[in-house]
Amino acid sequence: MTADLLLQAVVSGLLLGGVYGLVASGLSLIFGVLRIINFAHGAVMMLAMYTTYWLFTLLKVDPYLSILVTGPAFFMLGVVIQRLVIEPNRLAAEHNQLMLTLGLALFLENLALVLWQGDFRTVRPSYASASFVVGEALVEVPRLVACGGAIVMALALFVFLRLTDVGKAIRALSEEPEGAMLMGIDVGRIRAVAFGIGSGCVAVAGALVTPFFYIAPDVGDSFNIMAFVVVVLGGMGNFVGALLGGFIVGAAESLGATLLPGSLKQLVVFALFVLVLLFRPAGLFGGGRGR
Amino acid sequence: MNRRAFLKTAGAVAALGAVPSMGRAQTKEVKLGYILPVTGPLAFEAQLSLNGLQLAVDEINNAGGIKALGGANLALLPGDTQNKVELGNSEATRLIDRGISALIGPFSSLVAYSVRQVTEKNKTPFTLLAAVADNLTEGGLRYVFRVQPNGKAMSTLTMHNMIEMAKAANTPIKRVAMMHEDGNFGTTMGNHVEAFAGKLGYALVQRIPYSLKSPDFTAELSKVKASKPDLLVISGYYGDSKIIAETASKLRIGVHALVGLANAAYSNPKFIADNRELTDQLFDGNYWHNPQSARAKAVFAAYERRFNSPLTSHGVQAYTVIGVLKDALERAGSTDREKLRDALSKTNLADHILPQDAIKFDDTGENANASPALLQVQNGRPVVVSPARFAEAKPVFPVPKWHG
Repeated sequence: MTADLLLQAVVSGLLLGGVYGLVASGLSLIFGVLRIINFAHGAVMMLAMYTTYWLFTLLKVDPYLSILVTGPAFFMLGVVIQRLVIEPNRLAAEHNQLMLTLGLALFLENLALVLWQGDFRTVRPSYASASFVVGEALVEVPRLVACGGAIVMALALFVFLRLTDVGKAIRALSEEPEGAMLMGIDVGRIRAVAFGIGSGCVAVAGALVTPFFYIAPDVGDSFNIMAFVVVVLGGMGNFVGALLGGFIVGAAESLGATLLPGSLKQLVVFALFVLVLLFRPAGLFGGGRGR
Repeated sequence: MNRRAFLKTAGAVAALGAVPSMGRAQTKEVKLGYILPVTGPLAFEAQLSLNGLQLAVDEINNAGGIKALGGANLALLPGDTQNKVELGNSEATRLIDRGISALIGPFSSLVAYSVRQVTEKNKTPFTLLAAVADNLTEGGLRYVFRVQPNGKAMSTLTMHNMIEMAKAANTPIKRVAMMHEDGNFGTTMGNHVEAFAGKLGYALVQRIPYSLKSPDFTAELSKVKASKPDLLVISGYYGDSKIIAETASKLRIGVHALVGLANAAYSNPKFIADNRELTDQLFDGNYWHNPQSARAKAVFAAYERRFNSPLTSHGVQAYTVIGVLKDALERAGSTDREKLRDALSKTNLADHILPQDAIKFDDTGENANASPALLQVQNGRPVVVSPARFAEAKPVFPVPKWHG
């Protein structure tokens, strides 16, 4: 095993890890505020990827530029989904809420299947195959941009949560729901906004991966499963933890592929998942505080 | 419209709808059931198979149906497996209960492995579609038939074709790396490529199974590159195969050729159209048609007219399976499952569009002459480059671009 291979593994793992982190940030935010595990997160990402695809194919909008459309649009979609589907079931038993988001995921995936068939689609902007070499490690430009974009987006989210009133309200609600209500925070509105932001995050992640990925109705699954691992690793409801967790999972997966035979790389990730649940159930960085 | 008026109208429409179907029931028809993953992760590929089935059925019906049965039409009864074993079993049972003469499907080998017990128990001919695992015909089964090459024929004949082609080009292949998806399909392929290394005279220097859902293969391909293979063989589905070829290209993988083994992407016209530069000169050993056959050309034209997309190997397989069933029905002169089974076992069908001699089934139900074609993408089109008697172009080998 040469150092080059390890370097390559770390580089490509971290690049993908940023995207995992952004997907997980949205999931974590939704969990922190609404206390639901959103299985439909990956399906929302898939819809955003199709939106990016259609904007590119029909209107020649660059995938990265399309974030200006998909981000806000999916924020709104998230708000609508929360208002129409999630909120009415807010007080239902937890397993019902799980079933609800799972059902929503299946509905969205099958809707995509009906609308666009199971056909695989690709977006190939001119820079899709651009890459350069650092040391001996290959860096693909679209993956680098995706990772950078994810970090910027996550930082923006962090700043938003720290400095704005709405952000502070989200953190308050995440930390102490009853207290937040007593302080006169419109918790219903904040829940909708939080779901909207979570959906917006995953939509941005979807747009960012489109240039190097493919688009199909079940494409969200690849990222959603990882995002669950990341959220647990980073601590449920801990947004910064989600981003860091993303990098850890990405690197672990990639190093697993280099060091272990065959498809054991997934095993590494899920072993990590089980270990964290067993020994640090609050996550590596502590959870639920809206940090 | 109030509720009552709506119900009246709906009732009237339903009654109207019932009339023609009652009429149809009187003219004889042969029910053929299919189970395919038409929803779920393999929906895209399943649709390609389904199109092939429909094209063949309509062609036969428009030409007067099954003559030995007084011109009875073929009717396709649908079943959706969602690529799940439980659904495969229940859909198969449901279709058998509805009186099908034969079952077609189910795409995934895992589902097929389970469903074949249902068909065996119910004495129903089961013509496999797309499922390649070798063990599907093992165990002394009477009712399972497979037209397409199984995993063993597919992988060993493809490797044989590649090795021979390389020898002819004075660039022998000594070191082979393989990446395959870690399900039954990919693992079967991997096992054969490994098992036949000694016999065909190459060393398997890397074998990497991977998960279909993995979004990045850079680490895996770096490992492949470091093992300095002459050839990289890839058995996978669409999305994973795309990312692997793309990453291999960016890594300047340094092999003489990238060859798909029953790959769902590398000879797929849509994949090629979407990725012209990337796919240029990719090889793929796959189910294919005989490009020298005039009938194949007509079938392709008919498919393209109807579905507005090119016929793929999945469609060819499905089309052929219907042809085999039609031939057996004509000889059986009955929709009885047992008679159809006996007729199938005596198949000797030369009028087909596959790159092989007559379709015949051996004792286990495998097509004894089954053969894949070795394809190469040239000028945006997959062309047969081997075996020689079906070839339509000369191979470009070694492929310069992978040495970048």
